Amino acid sequence: MTQSQTLELNTWSRGLRWVTSAVTLHQNLADYVEPLAQMIWPGWQASSWRARVLEVRPEQADVYTLVLRPSASWKGFLAGQYIELSAEKNGARAIRCFSISSSPDHYRRTGLIELTIREQQGGLITPWLKQAFASGGGVNISAAKGEFLWPQGDKPLLMIAGGSGITPFRSMLQEAAARSSTRAVHLMYYARDAHSWLFHEEFQKLMLSFPGLTLSFMDSDVQGFISAQHLHDFCPDFVTREVMICGPSAMIGMARDICAGAGIVSDHIHFEYFGAAPLDMPEAADGNYVVSFEREGKAVATDSDAPQTLLDVAEANGLKPVSGCRMGVCHQCICQKKSGVVFNTQTGRYSDTGPGEIQLCVSVASSDVILDL
Amino acid sequence: MTKTATPSAETLNAFERELNDVRDDFMSRIGQADADYIRKVIRTQRLLELSGRLVMVLGFVHPLWWVAGVIMLGLAKILDNMEIGHNVMHGQYDWMNDPNISSRRFEWENAGDGNSWKRYHNHEHHTYTNIIGKDRDYGYGMLRLSDDLPWRPKNLWQFISYINLSLLFQWGVAYHEVAAERIFVGKNKRRKDSSLPISRRQLRNDFLNKAGKTIFRDYIFWPLVCFPVFWWVFFGNLAANIIRNLWTSTIIFCGHFTEEAQTFREEDCINETRGQWYFRQILGSSNLEGPRWFHILTGHLSCQVEHHLFPDIPARHYPEMAKRVAEICHRHQIPYNTGSFGHQYFTVVKRVLKYSLPDYFHSRPRAAA
Repeated sequence: MTQSQTLELNTWSRGLRWVTSAVTLHQNLADYVEPLAQMIWPGWQASSWRARVLEVRPEQADVYTLVLRPSASWKGFLAGQYIELSAEKNGARAIRCFSISSSPDHYRRTGLIELTIREQQGGLITPWLKQAFASGGGVNISAAKGEFLWPQGDKPLLMIAGGSGITPFRSMLQEAAARSSTRAVHLMYYARDAHSWLFHEEFQKLMLSFPGLTLSFMDSDVQGFISAQHLHDFCPDFVTREVMICGPSAMIGMARDICAGAGIVSDHIHFEYFGAAPLDMPEAADGNYVVSFEREGKAVATDSDAPQTLLDVAEANGLKPVSGCRMGVCHQCICQKKSGVVFNTQTGRYSDTGPGEIQLCVSVASSDVILDL
Repeated sequence: MTKTATPSAETLNAFERELNDVRDDFMSRIGQADADYIRKVIRTQRLLELSGRLVMVLGFVHPLWWVAGVIMLGLAKILDNMEIGHNVMHGQYDWMNDPNISSRRFEWENAGDGNSWKRYHNHEHHTYTNIIGKDRDYGYGMLRLSDDLPWRPKNLWQFISYINLSLLFQWGVAYHEVAAERIFVGKNKRRKDSSLPISRRQLRNDFLNKAGKTIFRDYIFWPLVCFPVFWWVFFGNLAANIIRNLWTSTIIFCGHFTEEAQTFREEDCINETRGQWYFRQILGSSNLEGPRWFHILTGHLSCQVEHHLFPDIPARHYPEMAKRVAEICHRHQIPYNTGSFGHQYFTVVKRVLKYSLPDYFHSRPRAAA
């Protein structure tokens, strides 16, 4: 396409957008139609897909699997990717990210996907999801996202999983088995004790249809946290492998240090924090929190002894967010919070941990917070 | 005009606590019912708008269709501006976390740019309610509504100015901030620095852009879509806009310009406690009584007092809250201004007329201080 053609197209689409917003007062027609469409399809949203919850399957005392049937127009996913799941709790939309724990092959055959979720203790959403959808219901899901994918080529792999960080690996391994992969894959799966490995029997059965798979179930009660010794003992050739890590952030940190220390280049170390799931705790432990201003690329620590509103924190660090009354009345300082818990000094309430909009002038950080500023 | 003396600090503290309790009580009830309610109102608004535009076209069959269409479209515009736009842009539904019902993104069916309105209305008007010189909503820089301002000859015909403002109200809303910043006319129009969080250039562009969209929608796009009946649709939209303008202007004038609504000076709000702020909000506002449909069409601005006390609680709760607020005011002997729509509006008209004349004509001899 020539440059002038591109320019012409841009002018056209800009013009169309102007007309749409003039006539509908929305950025796109779908948002304008949304309330009407919801009369026919309750819960329909222009920017996401509906999914039916078919089953809530218990895996362990505090872990369950949601079985979902996404609407036919959903675009599918690659093994290892995650989705944003949004559900309405008492009128408010709660959004959480979960890795898909089933394979694309399973989706092609049955039209179903699975999310395996650990209930966060004292969490607002994960325990609620289990109860609210016990007898089915509808949720909304985003397109699949994420770059934590099965690497191209046939270089042997080492997968290191911790706790519910196993979910993307389950998807990848099932997919590899379905495609009769011959790649060598070693899975080291850490759990807090011998009762806590998820899909334990399933992985053992999987070895029958996936001859390249080696399993090491690691019991942290007995063997302790991950160490270089573990890798040398259980996967002696790990230096020659491409490494994938998913689990709690402390574990990821240790595993990366060990691999880098052994001389594995960073291109061959892939990792993901719990499928991008934010913490689900209403209140983190006491202490100082980190407020990150994402667009500014700045992060500052707050002082728990002298709590400041996020507006004051931002201004003290040279940012100039739009603000007005500074007393919680005018809503001009509304800002998108990407994640984290804030305390609203006016209402005395804690926010949800997921994405949401907050008033900077009456909000105090109550966990690490990421702001769209 | 009577001015209520400020109660003792003790009374104000008790007053503040009791009003905070009312707020907390209703805050804890916010939930699914509010979400379902606002979605239902938005659905109704969409259906009214689209069917109004459709029915209007049938004017060539019989003019009564045109009339019905105009009324439906007028109602849709009223719902959009009052119960939906005004309240959503106050952040009453931000807790829903729905991008289409959020104060940050919502844009209303009005010539005024939503962001501009949020700046001067949510901040200036709600923080400095009825403070002469700070709250530019007080008389909109056109009308003299109290003896705080000196009389000028143009006040003689201010009733006519008021009627004009009402007919063109959405353009008044649009031009308000632009006028205050002297963007197009005025002494400082060449100055570069802006007193707003956005540049003067941005303010000008936002104003022109939204005004352009409004003219395009009602007077070019829809008439052209229904080309054979271009003028039916053109004048239908004009009539619907006038219905909306008259209604919104009338309701809003009843909120702060009734006979008993009081004014304040800038020094009144320095180091104000929450209790004093509540007190000032109550003295400066007035309520209208009526059936539920009336409250909805006013966007619950019929409960202006409660709206000014609790601007971000979903407005459907205001009539319930009003009962408790009135009781608290009564107990602390703080005047609570309420009355029927007819009576309150009558006092507004009286006030516009009264202050169009120099004080000489209506001031009563005052007792020596």
